[in-house]
Amino acid sequence: MKQFAKRCLSAVPVFFGITLLVFFMMNMAPATIADAAGEGEASSAARAALEAELGFDQPIPLRYLHWLGDLLQGDLGTSYRTGQSVGRMIGQRMGPSLLLTGTGILWAVLLGVPLGVLAAWKPHSGWSRLAGGLTLFSFSAPGFFLSLLGICLFSVKLGWLPAAGMYSSGTGGSLPDLLRHLLLPGAVVCLGSMGNLIRQTQSAVGEVLGEDYIRTARAKGLGEGAVVWKHAFRNALIPVLTTVLNHIPHFIGGSMVVERVFGWPGMGSLLFTSVNSRDYTVIMGVTVVVALSVLGMSLLMDVVYRLVDPGVDWGGEGP
Amino acid sequence: MKTIWKRAGALLLTLALTLGLACCAGEGTQNEESAGGNLSYGLSNPWDSLMPYYSLSGSNYSRIIYDKIYDRLAYIQADGTCLPRAAKSWESSDDGKAIVFALDEKAAFHDGTPVTAQHWVETIQLMTDPASGVLGQGSFACLTGTDEQGAQVAGETLGVEALEDHSLKLSFKTAVVPEEFLVEYNRDLYVLPTHLLQDIPIGELVKDDFWLKPVGSGPCKFVSEVAGSSLVLEANKDYQLGAPGFDTLTITVMDKANLLTALISGDLDYYAFGANVSEENRPTAEEAGFTVVEDSVPSTFYELMLNNSSLGTPELRRAINMALDKELLCQQSTGSLGTATNSSILPGTPYSPQPFGSYDPAGAEELVKESSYSGKQLTLACTSARASIAALIQQDLEAVGLNVEIQTVDSSTLFAGMSDGLYDMAIASHTPNALPLWFTGSRFHVDNNIFHVQDLSRYTQLVSAIQAETQDSQRLALVAELERYLGEEMPFVPLWFSNSLRIHSKTVEGIDYPASASCNENVWEWTMTGQN
Repeated sequence: MKQFAKRCLSAVPVFFGITLLVFFMMNMAPATIADAAGEGEASSAARAALEAELGFDQPIPLRYLHWLGDLLQGDLGTSYRTGQSVGRMIGQRMGPSLLLTGTGILWAVLLGVPLGVLAAWKPHSGWSRLAGGLTLFSFSAPGFFLSLLGICLFSVKLGWLPAAGMYSSGTGGSLPDLLRHLLLPGAVVCLGSMGNLIRQTQSAVGEVLGEDYIRTARAKGLGEGAVVWKHAFRNALIPVLTTVLNHIPHFIGGSMVVERVFGWPGMGSLLFTSVNSRDYTVIMGVTVVVALSVLGMSLLMDVVYRLVDPGVDWGGEGP
Repeated sequence: MKTIWKRAGALLLTLALTLGLACCAGEGTQNEESAGGNLSYGLSNPWDSLMPYYSLSGSNYSRIIYDKIYDRLAYIQADGTCLPRAAKSWESSDDGKAIVFALDEKAAFHDGTPVTAQHWVETIQLMTDPASGVLGQGSFACLTGTDEQGAQVAGETLGVEALEDHSLKLSFKTAVVPEEFLVEYNRDLYVLPTHLLQDIPIGELVKDDFWLKPVGSGPCKFVSEVAGSSLVLEANKDYQLGAPGFDTLTITVMDKANLLTALISGDLDYYAFGANVSEENRPTAEEAGFTVVEDSVPSTFYELMLNNSSLGTPELRRAINMALDKELLCQQSTGSLGTATNSSILPGTPYSPQPFGSYDPAGAEELVKESSYSGKQLTLACTSARASIAALIQQDLEAVGLNVEIQTVDSSTLFAGMSDGLYDMAIASHTPNALPLWFTGSRFHVDNNIFHVQDLSRYTQLVSAIQAETQDSQRLALVAELERYLGEEMPFVPLWFSNSLRIHSKTVEGIDYPASASCNENVWEWTMTGQN
């Protein structure tokens, strides 16, 4: 428990370090939202007035402290662009992002982990070749390419699936309509995550299958299925879990490219728009949420490791 | 072992069945909705706040949204013709220094309150109040009683008056032609429901929660919004010009690359602005059964912005103009849809200058030698979408002895860099209108000297003279004088105008496609055909 508390405490400076870094990097970018005002054609007086109103005439450290003060009071600020509360905007986008990336990664786990185990178990079989092909495709095909390919094939040519949005207009948000809209972007997220999962699973299970205790289990006459799934897979779980848990912050942060192309109203598209329009308060809001989820996930990993393998200490190192 | 395989098989089968059923069920739902009158509308960039006088970007993406919720005085067609909207008619008065608008008595806000001239007066009073914090006050700077920024001057009478319940008078600092005023300012003038804003302190007006569920008097009523992602509006069946022929209008922001595919797949009925498509994608749209029509009026003007401070001599700037093979650049950029130009004035208007013709690399080389060019590297900024055009410009300029480096940046950085004098040149585009000063009128001012012109006096003198002149022949002569001066000084290089190709919707009829360039759409004339 003491170790866990220590880990929690060590996350605090990391969190503030992340916000500090992002805030300064963002403010060192060449243009502010005031420069973008009036599509870049606002008069210098109008820009100066806007900069003063938004506080850009103050030194960056002072602005950071001001932002931090508001954050500590639970206020993520107001979007420069929409005039709405950043908390409200993130709240609206969180659900769709969780749904899209959560579904995509769930599909990747359901398909990728068994395939990785099968590929390790039967290294020269069709499973292994399928795993290799899928891994290569997943690593080499960028998200925007997969998205546009999917749209061209399934929406334009075959007309089976919708090309954009979360619901068809006017359906009032029915579940079948949502699932139909989810299929294509979910599949792209799944394909993007699957390569890493297959490779990690294949490598971890392959390594365990060469261990002495596996040979002993086989020698004792245990069935091949029990050897692979009960002994090898269970002992290979830690690297697989690491990969799965590392994907979880994506649930929160969304998948920027996929959301943008498919017009999915998630955190990724919010971040894309905010970066383009230099809406710093929203960028910082998303940074806070993603940083907290990454740090939270890191702590969760420690807990899960201990549940899977009690020999693991709180530092996250193996026995 | 068998149990595990059975479980895995059952799981996959369940997954496949669930999703398969979802696909089938979804298909049925979509067929039903076509007949229901829901219009799906795509937009490639998000809007700002729904407060029409607080658009930080001041972009057309916001204006096209405000156009639906709020009402404007007139509807502007692509050729600059003004048609009635909130105002049924208008006439000049006080020797051209005022316009009297006869407002439509049938106009009403979405809460049922009739729109009166007093609402317009109160809107303009609120928006010119220096404490209001609104953006774009500059649109009111032409009214009497305002300063150069458009803020009300204490102690002076603001140039807006309700003559009767439905008669509105606007008074100006100089004489104006009513149609020219509307072409220039109509897109930024909206009437607000001031009877609902009375209790909001002026300093909090632009950020009040009222704008989360705004009430306007436009052809569509607000229903719901996911800021920057989707907006649902419903038809205002009581709109004075007629009820839109749909029940709801769902506006979705999606990547530009996906607009055409979403239209083809039936996910969109139409997309802004005017469902335009590149010539490259024209065959794809036609193969999908769409009719593609070319606009008769150019919708985009391209210029090479010049930093007149670093490119210090007119000879050097003229050399740049002469070195560019604009015909080739135009061909590369627009295919057959563009017209090379030496002026920012829209072709086909009475003010259009002499026919194009300036490509002279040999003459440009001579001018470079005559100029004070030291051989230093010049920076040319462009967005990634225009990198290939920038490469051609670089090639042309290097052929006459100018050393050019290309910097690819985003749009905000490009304008900020030009404003700060960081770049020597930049490629930019704008939406033109039929007025002779649409481009030059606002760019040679001490507050907006984006070309870093050392001496603005002659420009401001000519621009002011043109703005104040109401006699056509005198005006033509003054515009010609300004064009001649621009040709001598070459503060920027006009490149080309391009026309748009419009994909005609299969499911919506009555769309005035080219008018979207003026940031207005005749949604009250749109009807759903139900065919997909």
